[in-house]
Amino acid sequence: MSYYFKPATITEALSLASDYSNNYVYFGGGTDLQIYRKQKLIKDEAIIDLSGLTDTYRIQADGNALRLGAFVTLDDITSAPEIQKLFPLLAEAAASVATPVIRKTATIGGNLLVNNRCTFYNQSKEWRDAVGSCMREVGATCLVTGGKDKCFSRNVSDTAPALITLNATVTVQTQKGEDEIPLKEIYAPDGIKYHQHMDDAILTAIRVPEKPVDWWFKKLRLRKTLDFTSLTVAAAIDTAGMARVCLNGVSMSPILIEKPIADLTLEGLTRSARKNCKTVDNDLMPLKYRREMINVYLNEWWQTVKDK
Amino acid sequence: MSGPIGKPTPYIDGVDKVTGQAMYTDDFRFPNMLYVGLVRSPHAHARIKHIDLSAAGKDPGVAAIAVGTEIPISFGILPISPDENAMAVEKVRYVGEIVAAVAAETVEAAQKGAEKIIVEYEPIREFIDPEDSLEICGKDEQIHSHTKEGKNIHKTAELRFNEPEKALEKSPFKRTESFKFAGVTHAFTEPHATIAIWNGDETLTVISATQVPHYLHRNLSKVLELPMHRIQVKKPALGGGFGGKSDPFAHEMITAYLSMKTKRPVKCTFTREEVFITNHGRHPTTMDMSVGCDNDGIITALDTDVIIDGGAYGSFGVVTSYYNGVLLQGPYKIDKLGFRTRRTYTNKPQCGAMRGHGAVNPRYAVEVILDMLAHDIGIDPCDLRMKNFLSENTLTVGQLRITSNGVRECLETVREKSDWNNRYGKLPYGRGLGVACGFFISGSALPIIWNRYPQTVVHAKLDFDGRIVMFSGASDIGQGSDTILVQIAAEELGIPMDFVQVEVADTKTTPVDLGSYSSRVTFMVGNAAKMATERIRNEMAKAIAKEKSVSAKDILFRDKKIFTKDGTLDIAWEDGVEIAMAGRGAFVESGYYISPKLGGDFKGSGAGLSPAYSFGAFISEVAVNPDTGEVNVEKIWAAHDCGKALNPLAVEGQIEGSIHMGLGQAVSEDMRFVQGQIMNANFFDYRIPYSVDTPEMDVSIIESNDGEGPYGAKEAGEGPIHPVLPSIGNAIHDAVGIRMMELPITPDKILNKVREKN
Amino acid sequence: MEKVQLNINGFTRIVLVDPHETILDTLRNRLFLTGTKKCCDEGTCGSCTMLIDSKPVLGCLTPTVRCVGKEIVTIEGISSGDDLHPVQKHLVKNGGMQCGFCTPGVVMTAIPYLEENPNPSVNDIKEGLSGNLCRCTGYKKIIEAVKDAAEELNT
Repeated sequence: MSYYFKPATITEALSLASDYSNNYVYFGGGTDLQIYRKQKLIKDEAIIDLSGLTDTYRIQADGNALRLGAFVTLDDITSAPEIQKLFPLLAEAAASVATPVIRKTATIGGNLLVNNRCTFYNQSKEWRDAVGSCMREVGATCLVTGGKDKCFSRNVSDTAPALITLNATVTVQTQKGEDEIPLKEIYAPDGIKYHQHMDDAILTAIRVPEKPVDWWFKKLRLRKTLDFTSLTVAAAIDTAGMARVCLNGVSMSPILIEKPIADLTLEGLTRSARKNCKTVDNDLMPLKYRREMINVYLNEWWQTVKDK
Repeated sequence: MSGPIGKPTPYIDGVDKVTGQAMYTDDFRFPNMLYVGLVRSPHAHARIKHIDLSAAGKDPGVAAIAVGTEIPISFGILPISPDENAMAVEKVRYVGEIVAAVAAETVEAAQKGAEKIIVEYEPIREFIDPEDSLEICGKDEQIHSHTKEGKNIHKTAELRFNEPEKALEKSPFKRTESFKFAGVTHAFTEPHATIAIWNGDETLTVISATQVPHYLHRNLSKVLELPMHRIQVKKPALGGGFGGKSDPFAHEMITAYLSMKTKRPVKCTFTREEVFITNHGRHPTTMDMSVGCDNDGIITALDTDVIIDGGAYGSFGVVTSYYNGVLLQGPYKIDKLGFRTRRTYTNKPQCGAMRGHGAVNPRYAVEVILDMLAHDIGIDPCDLRMKNFLSENTLTVGQLRITSNGVRECLETVREKSDWNNRYGKLPYGRGLGVACGFFISGSALPIIWNRYPQTVVHAKLDFDGRIVMFSGASDIGQGSDTILVQIAAEELGIPMDFVQVEVADTKTTPVDLGSYSSRVTFMVGNAAKMATERIRNEMAKAIAKEKSVSAKDILFRDKKIFTKDGTLDIAWEDGVEIAMAGRGAFVESGYYISPKLGGDFKGSGAGLSPAYSFGAFISEVAVNPDTGEVNVEKIWAAHDCGKALNPLAVEGQIEGSIHMGLGQAVSEDMRFVQGQIMNANFFDYRIPYSVDTPEMDVSIIESNDGEGPYGAKEAGEGPIHPVLPSIGNAIHDAVGIRMMELPITPDKILNKVREKN
Repeated sequence: MEKVQLNINGFTRIVLVDPHETILDTLRNRLFLTGTKKCCDEGTCGSCTMLIDSKPVLGCLTPTVRCVGKEIVTIEGISSGDDLHPVQKHLVKNGGMQCGFCTPGVVMTAIPYLEENPNPSVNDIKEGLSGNLCRCTGYKKIIEAVKDAAEELNT
């Protein structure tokens, strides 16, 4: 038996979640949700549709800062003139997700909180049963790594690295109240419990404090559409000269390297990226190639900034 | 041509398709219909110890259950390898093989019922790598008991003409290279679907998404032990095939059986994942090939050894094995030729026929090697090809009869249009041009099942309404064969196309056509349709000549008029219809096509025989990023000799579609396996190019006017895929100086080679 | 099961649906509106594209319950045979369809696309249709048809 709810307020939504503890799913844009359901990756009793929360749809640009409601779609982001002007990094990242029609439904909140992926996990129930279940489901070890007792599923959000390098914060509401935390804080380097501070919480808004002085974005994928990322690199330098480079698709959470641009070297950057990315062979692009591309992309970005 | 033949003609079913009115198999509903749920094997190779049906049997909503032992008669598209069962009997041979089935009141009830069937298995050694299948194994480990020498080799096809190995030794220029091709699959958009209806008169109607209603008809009869005259197979609108719907399928047998068992209509529709599991796609292939040439670039000999990974069952595999070798006999004159193909059984979904059947991978290999030889000798790759082309009206070494041949004009056309002479070898690093040619059969000259009937028959019916109805078993799978039937009738009778309609692909009402495979339909059905409508015209002319006292041979049919040049006769079509039908009423005339007797008298001589061959030459332009290995195919110039384009719109569409499908195999598509099961059974991970990934296309139709094709026509549906892949491979060489011997050419492989080279 | 009232092609329908059920399944299985095609059923091919409140949406990813109170337009709501939308007309004329299975989705993507982008270049159209999988045509004639439709709509 399953139930569908469409609360009109956040309070109501949080209360429903509390009533159905661990047995509900928040339904945002929902572009991934149906796939998980068909693959029997989720089987929650209650669907809590958040589309009735009317104050989560707005884009507000204020001087050089930006506030986005969590329900703003990726298509709204790519086409909003104020974002194109102030934060083309974000517009480009949003445009790199999925397909044009999906971007009209998929939300920024949903993309930031997209479930981690793995070639052994995002499969039908019959497939998973046949191959032997991985630890993220009911098994004991990781099938990708040939039996490690740690899950290395990948965070595949393309907008997360963009917004992290823009030093974004997110508004998180729980029954205890509202909190604003740095976006990077909601990600944990754990393939199973890859989000933190989000238990029974709703992400309602994203705030970007200021326009960067420089930015760069690149997504590695085989086709120019649809594909989840094999490596996303976003980079931005803020007015104080702080460089933030964020890599995603190659570890359990986005990997941020943050350093004043004056102190940064390519070697240091690459070393740090390679050390922090726990990249395993859980994408269709070969592991060795993805690792090499980390170097190539970082070098490519470096060439654009080293002379500035 | 005064009628629609040769003019770009929109499809007659176009409006139905753009409005959503076209009915595909899953769109049909019948009263009291049941739905099929399937139990599939989680093991790649295992004995079935026990099947417990008790829980499923008690499930409300489940109307019937079936297991393999109930319909154990084997079937298969080729009568020489009927090695499949509707459901596994005794053992399973791949992950996803169907073990049991239920019919239930709803789709959900069917799935639930299937989940309650408990199967106990005893695993057997799995053969995933075809190399393992070449070795002797235990008797119990053999995938099929009928394979020879205790190995899992399904078929060894070998032909040798004029000792190629000796000529290769003596050749001043020679290349021996190894190639590897991943398996690819058709990925048609409409998933497999079948509806079976057991009728009150004890006949069976099967509506199915099939390219081969006739072979399905025969195999249903065999498996269900139901005489052929009590079976009707109908193909409604069909959402793409490319060879992937050209076998009789297990789910078709099961659905029909469950309908007989329950005496109710039963429907089975696959999910996308099930379509991937069913596969029947292009064989994963490894290939060693040697080609030699003399100092002038004339090919001296070719020898190749091929291993194709057939998966668990036979499908078209015996034909595929031969095609890997015999279709190297063109478009170049090669008088010393040898090949051996070994097709292995492995515990994976079976491979079969896919667009360009059996010839796509060896075509890549030979075209790449010719490019290498041109470089070795120091002549232009286009010039080397020009020196070696077969002529018109000739026999190849294996006695394939070449009639019309427009390959020279094809190559000249793309060479000119791409400005090859000024650009090849001269573009900046990272950008390149590549050329390749190809040829393909216009229908197999031999039927799959030997018989004395024609390969196709078409009836044309004329009635009082002035309408011609074309009855043909031909299966329009999107290539536009229904439209061709209408064009031909309109052309022959000088009437507008709206006076012609079709009744097609229904084994009860339409005469036999063998199906939409081997690029045979326009050639064979076109000839039969032309004959049928010519006969209608002759009958009409005879009657009109008698009544109007003119000579029948002077009567012309054009612009909805029937007239003589001298003006003594000038009547409207409708008046002619009345005269022709007076005293006899509606009448039907038939046309047929039988391929002429062709070929040599050696074993294997039948493979690759066709009444005519298409030819083509393509040039690709690519940009390669040497830092990331990414390749962007920017433009393809394509020239294809289809004899005569009866519907240029459809011919262009086939060439453009071939470019897209060839591009996919060249740069991104592959079937990945883990523990014997497909790990990318979806469109996220099986990476077909989308609009933004597809190059600019410049398509030229070359018309060599074949003497035997209808109005001169030859095929256009499969031939154009062959040059696509090697032209891309050769262009990558021109761009960054590396030779790609493994497909798909993904960025990681390019980067490795670029780094090796630098 | 939930009882829902749906506005489909301007007509009100009341159906009982499962809360998880997609609008694609509701249309095809409960309402016999089979023009919208089920090809991948996981958001990758665009074949089930329809308009919900004038916005293109993938039917296979959209629960029916979320469509309540909204205007749903399916391929059946675009035209009858006599008055084809220019996108449909040019797809037929240009050979922008072969097997036709992806075609309803292409129509339902191209129509709202041209409303938002009345003067697209060939590359714009490629981008706009980059979620629609066609295995037959190589896209060329689809793109040409949409370009021709744009021109007709602009005159």
